Amino acid sequence: MKNLFSGLTMKEVKLALIIAVTFFLVLPLFITEGWISLVIEILILSLAATGLNLMLGYAGMVSFGPAGFYAVGAYTTALVLMKTKLPFVLAFVSGPILTALLAVCIGWFCVRLTHVYFALLTLAFSQIIFTIIHGWYSFTKGDDGIVGVPIPDFLSSIYNFYYFNLIIIAGCTWFLWRIIKSPFGKTLQAIRENPQRALSVGINVHRYQLATFVLSGLFLGVAGTLFCTFSKNVFPNYAHWLKSTEMLVVCLLGGINVFWGPFVGSFIYQFLDNFISGYTLYWPLVLGTTIILLLLFLRGGIAGYVANRISLKQKTNKQVN
Amino acid sequence: MTLPGVIIQLLCGMSTAMGIFLIAVGLSLIFGTLRILNLAHGVLYMLGAYLCYWITSVLLPNIGGSFWWSLLLGPITVAIFGGVVEVLLLRRIYNREHLDQYLLTFALVLIVSDLIKFAWGVDFHPVPIPPVLNGAFFFMGLPFPKYNIFLICCGIFTFIGLRYMIYSTKLGKIIRAMLHSRDMTSALGINVPFVFTVVFMLGCWLAGLGGALIVPTISASPGMDMNVLIESFVIVVIGGLGSLSGAFLGAIIYGLVNAFGILIAPRLAVAFIYIIMIVVLIIRPWGLMGEPEK
Amino acid sequence: MFRVTKLKKSFGGLAAVNKVDFTLKKGEISSIIGPNGAGKTTLFNLLTGHIRPDSGSIHFKDKEITFLSPNRVCRSGIGRSFQKTNIFPKLSVYDNVQVALLSHHKKTRNLIQESGTIFKEETEEILQTLGLLDQKDMMAGLLAHGDQRILEIGITLGTHPELILLDEPTAGMSPEESKETMQLIQSTVRSRNLTLLFIEHDMSVVFGISEIVRVMHLGSIIAEGTPQEIRSNDEVQRIYLAEESQ
Repeated sequence: MKNLFSGLTMKEVKLALIIAVTFFLVLPLFITEGWISLVIEILILSLAATGLNLMLGYAGMVSFGPAGFYAVGAYTTALVLMKTKLPFVLAFVSGPILTALLAVCIGWFCVRLTHVYFALLTLAFSQIIFTIIHGWYSFTKGDDGIVGVPIPDFLSSIYNFYYFNLIIIAGCTWFLWRIIKSPFGKTLQAIRENPQRALSVGINVHRYQLATFVLSGLFLGVAGTLFCTFSKNVFPNYAHWLKSTEMLVVCLLGGINVFWGPFVGSFIYQFLDNFISGYTLYWPLVLGTTIILLLLFLRGGIAGYVANRISLKQKTNKQVN
Repeated sequence: MTLPGVIIQLLCGMSTAMGIFLIAVGLSLIFGTLRILNLAHGVLYMLGAYLCYWITSVLLPNIGGSFWWSLLLGPITVAIFGGVVEVLLLRRIYNREHLDQYLLTFALVLIVSDLIKFAWGVDFHPVPIPPVLNGAFFFMGLPFPKYNIFLICCGIFTFIGLRYMIYSTKLGKIIRAMLHSRDMTSALGINVPFVFTVVFMLGCWLAGLGGALIVPTISASPGMDMNVLIESFVIVVIGGLGSLSGAFLGAIIYGLVNAFGILIAPRLAVAFIYIIMIVVLIIRPWGLMGEPEK
Repeated sequence: MFRVTKLKKSFGGLAAVNKVDFTLKKGEISSIIGPNGAGKTTLFNLLTGHIRPDSGSIHFKDKEITFLSPNRVCRSGIGRSFQKTNIFPKLSVYDNVQVALLSHHKKTRNLIQESGTIFKEETEEILQTLGLLDQKDMMAGLLAHGDQRILEIGITLGTHPELILLDEPTAGMSPEESKETMQLIQSTVRSRNLTLLFIEHDMSVVFGISEIVRVMHLGSIIAEGTPQEIRSNDEVQRIYLAEESQ
């Protein structure tokens, strides 16, 4: 796996990381506020997609309903802030925690099914979440959404929020990276490759799938909570299946077999969205065509393609030496 | 609630059910034979609806019976479009993972809905109900639109027609064999790609027909495909992926649950059907009328 | 150490495995042979918890394991391989074996530690025994068919079994390959002091290394004995001749 997909040595990875961190640290000094908020959105979507990809790419569990968890995270924080006097930290933490708890309940049912049935069950649950948010007007304000969530002042400045966001996302990404490199991560890949065989080497497949489901839900919850804190508004369409599909597209665009695939996907997706929307009303048309071209001519997503090229190059280098 | 009220509610549910049945059954057939979860199915339904509007109001506005012409021509156009898509795009990704197929059909959703927006704008386009079907019947003093009765009949006739096709024709035999096991059919020397194209076109035709039949009751508008797609999914899952009778049963359950659920809890009625879907998926993942995969 | 009593399983009225009794002694190498459709693989699936028996019982080291799930059966010390090659195709050869070790040592819940070097020595030792060490970084699915079958035995060894059940370990191999593989299996089993039970369709493979041969036909064990005894058994002769003439 490591030779196939990352193709980089530990040293190179560390170097790349240092460059990336420095880049993001100094970035706000050079760009306008509009761009900063775009970068924030990109990072939040990246986190959601990377969390989803733990399930999708590493455990091979195709979920059609990640947006449900994203919305639960966002709504929990929003509702706690609106309806209670609890401090911000508690409100912020409650989002991911509640999402993870919900993921335990939903996942318990879902992991019993396989393939397309698993996917459809996740879709059904996320649609229920959507319906509840949409229909329970007295509690969630339904279609109107919750507008003007009281966020503490120190996060109202976009610069402060940028760094707050960056720290949380860097932390979560680091944790996700450790997970996929850990024995747990390897076990997940084994389950993805061959659940029956995994069972026969003594792995309790369902339990690991449930754990993945919950971890994935946790990170989706963090992403939702961050987005709520950022935009100060939440709307029911956060739970809509279109949002779920957007996350899947982001993962696939970048490449699901590469850890940083969803990051690349998120960048490209949001950039295209912003640029093309500026020029034409027909952004979906462009996106759709891009997806089809990618599918037909660039299998494995963009990051997957690049990673393959790198490992190919290394192989030829080795042969030359 | 009085008896006539119940009957009217029942009819309401049935007419919703039969409209959505046309779409769901195509989705189910396509999944059963091609093993593709066709997200573009909703948008094909929308295309059918817009074509119906366009034929009745722009192409043939002044001849009598333009609606009937649109019922004939619209779905066929959708089917031809579907055939082209199948041959040019879907065919290249049958042996890929589910996700790639999911993504491709999603791309089609984006493209087709944007092309529709490009061609017809974002306004609502009403389609008049043909004069013969305008007005209402009375059941024990309560009115019920004639057109909805017509919809119910169309759904039932389509179901009977499809059943005949599946159980009594050669194509039907092949489709049933494919639903059962794919390897067997290619071993029997059947031209699989050709059958795939035909089934996909049939599914598209049904979606187009659904669109054309439903549009007089709701007007053609952007976004009309979104809910329909999800509802069709739910129906197909409840009935059983790939099962014809399952789609019919699922649609009826869907229609009735909606019609009566609204009386119990108006705002959360939509959730009931998802709860049914979850229960079915947990107890019988292959659906009420489907067969477990071997 | 391993005892099967009156094990029975039918599918729709047809008894696939019918009142099978046998015991295995520690360190014994034995085999089950029989024509296709005799119920051999079903028997294995019953033994490892993949299918639940209708009646009968299975005891391993004086504990009943009849209704345990496959992962619990594995934990109790029984490893198995499958008739159809059953590896983790997109993981490296190294990872294939390492996952089994991680599972055996209950390390799979570890979320933080870097996994690459855990049990490195042991993994490489197993690969060395099987002659796969040179190819450890290769994607398992790209190995030659014979090597994939051997890797599967490596995965099985990774779970530290005391008893291993191999389902047609040489399926799809050439006669020379089969012979080499069986010798490899024999020496590995001996040096690790394991108990081995394997299924084979091809009689010639079996007689070389088995101490006890059992013949299965239509769901029942019809003969049990040393290779010489089985070879001279009339009924066995008849069954195999009948099959060949078909």
